Amino acid sequence: MQLLRPESVEAAAAALGNGSVALAGGTDLVPMLRDRLVSAETLVELKEVVPRGVEGTRIGAGTTLAELEVDPEIPAALREACALAASPQLRSMGTIGGNLLQATRCWYWRLDFPCFLHGGSRCHAREGAHREHAIFGNERCASAHPSDPAAALLALGARVRTSRRELGLEELYRLPTEDDRNVTALEPGELILELDVPRPEASVYLKAMDRARWAFPLVGVAAARFADGVRLALAGVAPIPWRLDSETDLDRATPLPGTAYKVELARPLIRRALHSVT
Amino acid sequence: MARLIRTEKEVEGRYTEQWVVVEEDAAIDQWPAGPRETVGRPVPRVDGYERARGQALFTADVALPGMLHAAVLRSPYARARVRRLDLSRAREADWVLGAIGPDDCDALTLEPGFHGEPVAAVAVDSPGRAREALELIDVDWEELEPLLDPEEAVRRNELHEEPRRYERGDADAAFADADVVVEAEYRTQTVLHNPLETHQSVCRWEGDTLEVYISTQFIWGVRDDIAESLDLPPDRIRVICNFMGGGFGAKNGAHAQTFIAIALASQTGRPVRCALSRREENLATGNRNSTIQRLRAGARSDGTLVALEGEFVNAVGWKGWSGPTYGPMEMLYACENVRTLTYGAKLNLPPNAAFRAPGFVEGTFGLECLLDELAGRLELDPLELRARNHADRDLADDRPYSSKNLLECYRRAEPHWARRDAVRARSEGPWRRGVGLASQIWYGGGGPPSYAWVRIGSDGRATVITAMQDIGTGTRTAMAQIAAEELGLPLDRVRVSLGDSSRGPYASISAGSSTTPSMGPAVRAAAADAARQVIEIAAQRYHLEERLLTMQGGKVVSSDGGSWPLEEVTGLLEDAQILGKGARGPNPTGMRVLTFGIQVADVAVDVETGEVRVERIAAIHDVGRVINPLGAQSQVEGGIIQGVGHTLSEERLVDPASGIVLTQSLDAYKLPTIADVPEIVVELLDIPDEHLTNLGSKGLGEPPIVPTAAAIVNAIRDATGADVRSLPVSRDEMLRALREARERERAAAPA
Ligand SMILES: Cc1cc2nc3c(=O)[nH]c(=O)nc-3n(C[C@H](O)[C@H](O)[C@H](O)COP(=O)(O)OP(=O)(O)OC[C@H]3O[C@@H](n4cnc5c(N)ncnc54)[C@H](O)[C@@H]3O)c2cc1C
Ligand code: SF4
Repeated sequence: MQLLRPESVEAAAAALGNGSVALAGGTDLVPMLRDRLVSAETLVELKEVVPRGVEGTRIGAGTTLAELEVDPEIPAALREACALAASPQLRSMGTIGGNLLQATRCWYWRLDFPCFLHGGSRCHAREGAHREHAIFGNERCASAHPSDPAAALLALGARVRTSRRELGLEELYRLPTEDDRNVTALEPGELILELDVPRPEASVYLKAMDRARWAFPLVGVAAARFADGVRLALAGVAPIPWRLDSETDLDRATPLPGTAYKVELARPLIRRALHSVT
Repeated sequence: MARLIRTEKEVEGRYTEQWVVVEEDAAIDQWPAGPRETVGRPVPRVDGYERARGQALFTADVALPGMLHAAVLRSPYARARVRRLDLSRAREADWVLGAIGPDDCDALTLEPGFHGEPVAAVAVDSPGRAREALELIDVDWEELEPLLDPEEAVRRNELHEEPRRYERGDADAAFADADVVVEAEYRTQTVLHNPLETHQSVCRWEGDTLEVYISTQFIWGVRDDIAESLDLPPDRIRVICNFMGGGFGAKNGAHAQTFIAIALASQTGRPVRCALSRREENLATGNRNSTIQRLRAGARSDGTLVALEGEFVNAVGWKGWSGPTYGPMEMLYACENVRTLTYGAKLNLPPNAAFRAPGFVEGTFGLECLLDELAGRLELDPLELRARNHADRDLADDRPYSSKNLLECYRRAEPHWARRDAVRARSEGPWRRGVGLASQIWYGGGGPPSYAWVRIGSDGRATVITAMQDIGTGTRTAMAQIAAEELGLPLDRVRVSLGDSSRGPYASISAGSSTTPSMGPAVRAAAADAARQVIEIAAQRYHLEERLLTMQGGKVVSSDGGSWPLEEVTGLLEDAQILGKGARGPNPTGMRVLTFGIQVADVAVDVETGEVRVERIAAIHDVGRVINPLGAQSQVEGGIIQGVGHTLSEERLVDPASGIVLTQSLDAYKLPTIADVPEIVVELLDIPDEHLTNLGSKGLGEPPIVPTAAAIVNAIRDATGADVRSLPVSRDEMLRALREARERERAAAPA
């Protein structure tokens, strides 16, 4: 395996594809390489290429979660989502760009079951063990999106600048389909460079997890108040970060037998989040 | 004279009768209760600096010249048959130096019965490439239907042993007569030991002697396992474990990795390391199996227990043993009529292994929750209910206890229990607070055979020599304290040499809370033997009567005023040394040696989100004399933290269709983090057991984890009225129990 250290976005983009993958902090990628969930002959290090740091409303995709959680310029929802994610060690390596693109934690997927998301024909979690899984958008793949910051950024209405285009965070994510099992709309070789995060009047992120720290969200709720209203987004409830208009949207959830509790869990979190920003 | 005696030996609740030789030592009186010069005083670990500096060498650090690294091919299925196993590609590859299958090693099988069971193994000279070599093994698997449901196994009679039946008195009649009967079904989950150091061994042939470096709780057990399996003279096997990164019961024998390393070492003529990855550790090295407990208790309206009944299903796994889940029900209370029925279901799941008070942790959860449900029905104070049913004598075996101070533990629990009104009053918003308690009973008396030597050199320094192991509990420190106390030496003049079967006498297993009560008395006896010799020498040299002399403060002191530094006395011998020998005497005949205690937990529950925070646990235990209060405190803290994980977040999950283990990594299997740890208040009674050995000490490794789950769950009930009956108390279980409590309340409310 070789490591490339390109010095321009163009060089990095050109080096990607064909058995090479982008490496940021490596906290998700390296374990997946070890477990052979990703195979790569070449790692393309993004350090020199992807901006790092905060400038006004813009966040470099190479900024670590540890840097974001203490930056007073950053809206509270994102700061709190970062602070409640992973562990201090992981946050000081893990970048926000990598966080948005981290792979699912579904245990079947991580153990390489030939499931729908891996290109197979069925979702093993649906009939199997799925207490950590989804209550929305879970018809084909019932995985729960693991990113706390993604839910916060979705509630904040963040926009993403890539090496090719600019798009809203909601457009970055897509539910997997028969024809395309990806959960992001990123094209091969496309890099996330920056995020633009509008300043809300108030925002908050609340997270329920299996222990006090260092666990993925069972349910995470982000709320952000803007002049034209409050935006809500949830982590851990669908294969991608999930927007809701209000608590009543939970009535349309399609939980599995083992995830019904997440609907119950989301209600008070949504109420508290709304209460806190209004 | 050597004395041959027949004695009862207990490890983790399993009793065997055996012959042991005890040295005819002049009876040594117990020290008076209370702290002494060194014993009973808080002492930091004697090996603390070595550990902190990374100088302590664990099995994981052993690197022998020419050493190869093994990788194990494990069954990807819960049940399968290997139609064809072909090692030829592996054997032909020049970079693969060893390849073995079931023909070469009994720890490998062609008919795996659980996900992760070893089938074949390879050895290569770079650790990075070992797994790669596994791809050169060609296997034709036939996947078979696994049996995973314990109740189904009971129906099909797929059991490890005949169902165990126990009855005393007449339970049916007593239930019929009872004023109140409560019943409930409790479930506990499968949890994993997860010691920091995974199972590992390095094996090397040195001529006709086999050297085994291993992370183990019992170097002599490893020796015996190997001798028996490979038909080798035990003395040609040297087992070494100097520092050890934890076991919690899962490392009591040689285990598959040792046999794999030996077979590969024999095949290649090179030393071989077989070290499990964290995921392999969490697949194949044992667990605390899940249980189903259907329990019933009958009482008179004054709270007197008249009948107890339990049906226990232990989901043992493919191998292992059916643990004493019934133990607390039969032993904890003075109830005349008790009936239990226990099944050990044989399933296509990874085998269980002893895990810190096996059976009793699970059984105490069920029984002690049921007792609180009974207290609720009787409107009796739970502490009062327990005191009222205190057993003055062991009813299971009809014997007196060697010592029991449980009522004193209850008394000491009162101030913690009395805080509950104040704790409840701190409830606010969705956060409800409450207090719960649970009693603890467990073994922990240790026993013979266990031997130690104490050597004193001309420099006036002593070394304790015994082939025991320190599994991380602070044994080295406790043994040094005991020897220092007996020899009247400052602690820094005593060293402990352990961890090598060829450098010291036979020593106890470090399991079943038996290390201190087994080894401590032997060490004291050895030190006393050495001290006696020093005094005899001094008496002759200085023309004094022996009875006037004692060893104190590094000196030989005469009661008529004179004193001589120890090194002056031993210096007479130049390079010769004094060697004292000591043996563990038998346990008191006709008595039950047990440990007792109680824990009181404060919890806060968010009744909307089901979040549970354990805020404080007070642990009061009666384990006889405490050698090192600091080490003891850390044992209690460790047990409680492990108990909090067991109660709230840990659970090994398998795919219900295939039996494949899903929670192999530490992000999926949720151990508690430091942020989950409550305030822990430790109170040890420190009352020597006057009948037990020359120390009066019992073990403490296991008692602290026994009542934790029940105390927390009882506190949850106190806070919220919800009956949690299944572990772990994850959000799903907590929200379910809260919903059920609300519905019950609604149904009970007048229309
Ligand atoms: C044990 C554990 C616990 C965790 N807990 C949480 C949690 O509670 N909440 C949470 O939100 N997260 C959690 N995480 C995820 C963690 O936050 C992410 O792993 C981390 O943020 C990823 O960042 P990275 O820079 O290390 O990404 P990498 O591992 O380097 O990359 C991840 C992926 O993104 C791609 N990539 C990275 N940067 C870019 C870019 N700029 N453009 C295009 N592609 C890119 C990589 O090619 C790769 O596919 C946890 C992770 C672990 C291992
Ligand atoms: S939830 Fe998605 S990732 Fe998990 S098994 Fe189902 S399809 Fe695969």
